[in-house]
Amino acid sequence: MEDGIPNNPFGTQLGGGVGRIKLNVGGKLFETTVSTLRSGGPDSLLSALSNRPTQDPVFIDRDPEIFSVLLSLLRSNRLPSTAKRFSNLELIDEALYYGIESQLRMALAPTRLNGIDASIFTTVKPSSDGIVSAFNAIDSDGSLWVAHGGQISVYDWNLSHTATVRTHLDFITSIRRVRPEIAAVGSLYGSGLHFYNMTNGCRVDSVEWVDPSDVRIYKARVHAIADSEDSIFASYDCQHGENSVLMIDRSTLKISSEIGRMQGTSSKNAVPGKLKYVPDMGILVGSSVTSGAFGYSGYIRLWDPRSRDVVWETNEPGSGRSSRFGDSFADVDVDLDNLALFKLCSKSGDLAVAELRKLSDDPWVYLKEKNPSMRNVGISGGIAGGNLLIHCYRKQVFVGREGDLEVWSRVEDNADGEGTCEGLCRRNYVDKVEDAERGIIKKIEGGGDRLFVTREDVEGIEVWQSSNYSGAVSVS
Amino acid sequence: MPPFAGSNPFSYGFHQESNSSIVTIDVGGQLFQTTKQTLALAGSKSLFSKISNSNETIPFIDRDPEIFSVLLSLLRTGNLPSKAKAFDIQDLIFESQFYGVENLLVNSQSDPSQFDAFNLEKSLVLPLSGRDSPSAISTTQYGSLHVAHGSKISSFDWALQRKSTILTQFTAIDSLLALSPKTAAAGATDFSGLQIIDLDKGFVKDTLNWENVTRSGSTVQAIGSSPEYLFTSFESGRRNSNCIMVYDLNDNLRPVAEIGHYEIFGAELDSAIPSTKLQWISSRNLLMASGSHSGPSGVSGNIRFWDIRSGNVVWELKEKSDCFSDVTVSDSLSSMFKVGVNTGEVFFMDLRNMGADNSWVCLGDGRKVIKGKKEGFGSKVESHGNQVFCSKGGDIELWSEVQAGTITTREGGLQDRVFRRNLMGRAKDMGGSRITNLDFGGNKMFVTRTDQQCVEVWSSGRV
Repeated sequence: MEDGIPNNPFGTQLGGGVGRIKLNVGGKLFETTVSTLRSGGPDSLLSALSNRPTQDPVFIDRDPEIFSVLLSLLRSNRLPSTAKRFSNLELIDEALYYGIESQLRMALAPTRLNGIDASIFTTVKPSSDGIVSAFNAIDSDGSLWVAHGGQISVYDWNLSHTATVRTHLDFITSIRRVRPEIAAVGSLYGSGLHFYNMTNGCRVDSVEWVDPSDVRIYKARVHAIADSEDSIFASYDCQHGENSVLMIDRSTLKISSEIGRMQGTSSKNAVPGKLKYVPDMGILVGSSVTSGAFGYSGYIRLWDPRSRDVVWETNEPGSGRSSRFGDSFADVDVDLDNLALFKLCSKSGDLAVAELRKLSDDPWVYLKEKNPSMRNVGISGGIAGGNLLIHCYRKQVFVGREGDLEVWSRVEDNADGEGTCEGLCRRNYVDKVEDAERGIIKKIEGGGDRLFVTREDVEGIEVWQSSNYSGAVSVS
Repeated sequence: MPPFAGSNPFSYGFHQESNSSIVTIDVGGQLFQTTKQTLALAGSKSLFSKISNSNETIPFIDRDPEIFSVLLSLLRTGNLPSKAKAFDIQDLIFESQFYGVENLLVNSQSDPSQFDAFNLEKSLVLPLSGRDSPSAISTTQYGSLHVAHGSKISSFDWALQRKSTILTQFTAIDSLLALSPKTAAAGATDFSGLQIIDLDKGFVKDTLNWENVTRSGSTVQAIGSSPEYLFTSFESGRRNSNCIMVYDLNDNLRPVAEIGHYEIFGAELDSAIPSTKLQWISSRNLLMASGSHSGPSGVSGNIRFWDIRSGNVVWELKEKSDCFSDVTVSDSLSSMFKVGVNTGEVFFMDLRNMGADNSWVCLGDGRKVIKGKKEGFGSKVESHGNQVFCSKGGDIELWSEVQAGTITTREGGLQDRVFRRNLMGRAKDMGGSRITNLDFGGNKMFVTRTDQQCVEVWSSGRV
């Protein structure tokens, strides 16, 4: 028959009895092909059924309607709209039964996050202590680790709640997942870095920073946590300002070395409030920002954790021959995809970028906003402390300015994207005016193609994601 | 076709003659019967024709049987059955693409011939992300839509599902024209060059520029197109010269001609006005180009009709008093309509004789005294089919010609034409912010307003 149908892409489907298989699911007959059933992977129940030699329909005692949704998924790699009749949880449970959860996960996952095309998808709200003090979004598996009050809650890629653990801390201010089941938490209201196992709720270990030779080092509190493939980094400070970054072995959870101890007597040697590890270069980026009556001041420091040396540092105001004197940065983040350092100027609201591989005295390239409608924004006087935020995700830079959420994204160019993105970056609002009225943005973090945003004194975490095929809203 | 195979349990009880036109199809375990004639309606390239040509007894398709039954009904009747409401349009599109019958689905849902002006009501709202209001919109024949808002362009397919949002180099886009569902020409009055943009990936495929004498950049004032040509009205960055460039749409946008090149000499104001609206009049093979200028002595403008081949003005109309705020030509009515910027009234001009004695006929209140006020400022007028749509503030008026049987002849010999006005929409849809764009595609009308981050879709009740 193939001769009559040249270039038939559906040859297997139009083919004869070979490869066809009948299934009786909960009393309803389905017919499909072996290749469709096997597309769920060799270990799935369905592909095991496809190997049965008999011609009789295989009986499966499950709900036929959910099965028809999953069969459509296997046939066309997309979920049909009939899937909306069921909750994601039902679909996931059923897909687990048939062993095709990876297909379902791909179909349910959000599309690549595009800041100019994102909308609020849902709000994740812990049941008690709903005001989230810290969270960590895991990009690799899309899960969300939330600290609220003294509790840690974990949400999986589908944003469904999987576990909550009560810690001994009263108020967690930093959290990071350091192993698939272990969260590292720290608090500004209690000393030490603590590791909690989320499966059984036990504290596994704690790391305190003490120095027998220096009595001032006691009751050190954790400000920021970062991790590399084999280590955990945590910045500690003590009552009188002494601070340091401790490198902790990921497997033994013991201190392996101490990086950059400082006195903490001025803003130039205060504790790093933000830590980020750059795996591609093996460096640790720490930054500290203090804001006072005379504006912002702070530093950015890069360490090589192996040699414990400072590789590069800059202080603002004051360092280099900065063209932007008096416009020191309000927040810093590292774009791990492009290996670039971004800072947000506190006064002008401009964004500046420096290539991590070409850091020098004044490496900054300032991205100006040419759009006249967006020029007027920025914090005047620089006294409104702590509400300028910057987070790099998926090659875009998200900026929280009071309650406003903005994105700086690169304009696609048909020429190859050589050089810096000066002039090719555009700033747009992600949110609407009414979104901004919900409150001041406290933290932005991306993970699993979602952007998570928390606001001051607002319960829950906003989840923003891009949605293709988001359709029209009917007016009734 | 051999007799049915007895081994197949599903084929028991089905008797068919060997030369019968009845076709039995097994879709995902369910049997369907139809005729070869019905399947042939799907076109030779579709999977249906492959099924009907299959020499198997019962061809098997490994797809969802329920959606197939919807598509089969579509094939039989040309319309979607009501049970299709159980599925998202996205499902139907995807499945119809698999079977190769998407055009039938488009025809049933968004047929331009089903545009019913008197039946339009605001039915849908297409939300746009971010905080920018739409500045320009463009549609294709079957109702897919591109919206420029801020520096972004969002694209919607004919079923009004958002396909993509891309970032452009413009800070704001003032003119936008869809060249195909995936490409658009975009220009701005503050950015040099006309960009041909791939709306899928978001990159600039081509940049078209006008080499003006002063060697300054050239900004885009208007874009228009005919089936063969793309027209762009450029003004030099120094605003002292302007022209209309003609590009060949079928030959890689090769520049074909440069018409209406004006340079400012002396104080002659008229030559300094670039065209801000370009409209192709296919019945006459003419390009209508209009532009206006607001000065201390009021608004003045001109409307020119260009012969593209010769590059000459066929007919020109100078507007001194009550200049147009917007002007449009209706091909099917062979008339031209304008909104007066001072009076805010709709005027009409018969284009069946283009001559010096031709003048505007006021359709509204002709005795209105022109005060200093610009009542028609910002009003838009667009024609679609046999109707003319005019926006005044937040309201839309629909003007249609009354086909009166009685004949009252004027001295010129031409019949007097009667146009009557309707206010569009239900009471709750009227008013609102000022309308900035009116466009038509498929069986729908698209409306944008100031300070609204969405596009309104007006369609006839039957959706």
